Amino acid sequence: MPRSMTQPQPSATAIFYKNLRWLRFVDRFGRKGQQSIEYLGGLAALVVDTFQATFTRPFYSQEVLRQMDELGVKSLSITGITALFTGMVLALQSAYSLEAFGGKQFIGRVVSLSLVRELGPVLTALMVGGRVGSGITAEIGSMAVTEQVDALRAMAISPTRRLVVPRVLATVVMMPVLTAIADLLGILGGLAIAILELQMTVADYITSIWQQLSISDIGSGLAKTVFFGLEIAAIGSYNGLQVEGGAASVGRATTRTVVIASICVLISDFFLTKLFLAL
Amino acid sequence: MSTTAAETRTPAPAPAPSENVVEFREVWKGYGGRDILAGVNLKIRKGEVMCVLGPSGTGKSVTLRHINGLTMPDQGDVIVFGESVVGLTEEQLAPTRRRVAMLFQGGALFDSMNVEQNIAFPVVEHTDYPPDKIAAIVAEKLTMVGLPGIQRKMPAELSGGMRKRVALARSIALEPDIILYDEPTTGLDPLSSEKIAQLIVDLNVRLRTTSVVVTHDIVAARTVADRLAFLHQGRFQFIGTFDEAARGGHPVLMEYFRSMGFPCGTGVFQAIKS
Repeated sequence: MPRSMTQPQPSATAIFYKNLRWLRFVDRFGRKGQQSIEYLGGLAALVVDTFQATFTRPFYSQEVLRQMDELGVKSLSITGITALFTGMVLALQSAYSLEAFGGKQFIGRVVSLSLVRELGPVLTALMVGGRVGSGITAEIGSMAVTEQVDALRAMAISPTRRLVVPRVLATVVMMPVLTAIADLLGILGGLAIAILELQMTVADYITSIWQQLSISDIGSGLAKTVFFGLEIAAIGSYNGLQVEGGAASVGRATTRTVVIASICVLISDFFLTKLFLAL
Repeated sequence: MSTTAAETRTPAPAPAPSENVVEFREVWKGYGGRDILAGVNLKIRKGEVMCVLGPSGTGKSVTLRHINGLTMPDQGDVIVFGESVVGLTEEQLAPTRRRVAMLFQGGALFDSMNVEQNIAFPVVEHTDYPPDKIAAIVAEKLTMVGLPGIQRKMPAELSGGMRKRVALARSIALEPDIILYDEPTTGLDPLSSEKIAQLIVDLNVRLRTTSVVVTHDIVAARTVADRLAFLHQGRFQFIGTFDEAARGGHPVLMEYFRSMGFPCGTGVFQAIKS
């Protein structure tokens, strides 16, 4: 009895502390949200600046070509290998599942459609996001921490124009090219498996593709990659320009680019696919 | 407009406005809730070498970055060549920035380019000069900083002192009116420091520029400074010549001089001591 009598009403302080936990939670949640919104805002501003700078003087065409080589041509091997083996795996897997229905002759269709519409663009974008996106962040980021970006500004040269535009342009132009090559290699990989493992003829495989694949399949696949290219290069550049501090910050920013770029590619892929199907 | 405002604010013996190429008016700047600059006032006269002195982390570099608009103040005004640079966009700042060169602490050379391309970079960007004229400019500036003939080297092949001198050659490539030096002697051995300091004085005379040197190196400051400004607790506690400072400018400045092993204080400091 005396115990219950001594049990006091929770004091104002106690209530405050009880609520404080919630407040902290809301606060942390709010901060995260604020950071995300600031990030997206900054990224959007950079994209707008990049667009403006792309169509006004001065142009750095030499730099664009250099970046197309650096970011595009030098990515050929990894995107090519990825697509080749994906095509081979697709052929094996679809043979396994289609054989039960006697549908082996459709392997060409399955492989080519999956590659051209979906896997070619997305896998290429993910590989490019990993290689090119992180490379852009690392390069611009280390320029930022060694004050080279400030040096550009101090010389009245816009870092957006000089650093971001060439990289965005190069990636946007090279992504469809890389994807087209990847599609082709993937289909060839499928062909190799069809002939060597599944005892099909080249003619069977090609006819099966020919009957199914339309220009719109190829077009929608390649069109997506333009957006992927823009996302990857813009995120890579923005994260690079935001770097402050030292080498550790460059590493963190690089990881961040790979994560954000990959997620953006996958999310936007869904919406772009829906959009192109509706068109 | 700005001239009349300046006259009303500074009544007594205000020097002719044309004499001050840079002027800080009550500049405040904070980072992470802490005021780094708390009402900074400073006038830099045309043709002088102004040395901004102070311990590390007091906001010397931040002050310097206000002059070419790399950093914008939270409050107050920064006047360069008689016009405010506060609130201008990057594009609006461009004309001022072409006249104000900056030497960064680590040199900030572009490591993807060789020495020649680095020095030629601002010239190529801002002029239509033919290649041979640009090459001549590069050679001339390299000679000025005492490093002739290293055009083909990459920044990674250079020592710290050489890198700073190449960076200096790049900053003077467009013949600026003001040169900002951010810790020009930090991280260099005493001999290289002395060379750089001497170079700063030489260039100031030869190119008829105004120089603003941020440093915590008293030896270098003694070599270069026409006047020095001592930054402490967000304000300039002392502005005057080196001799005035050594004679007893400000107690904290005295402390600073002594901590650097510099003999000083025949005046005020000695008096307090006795």
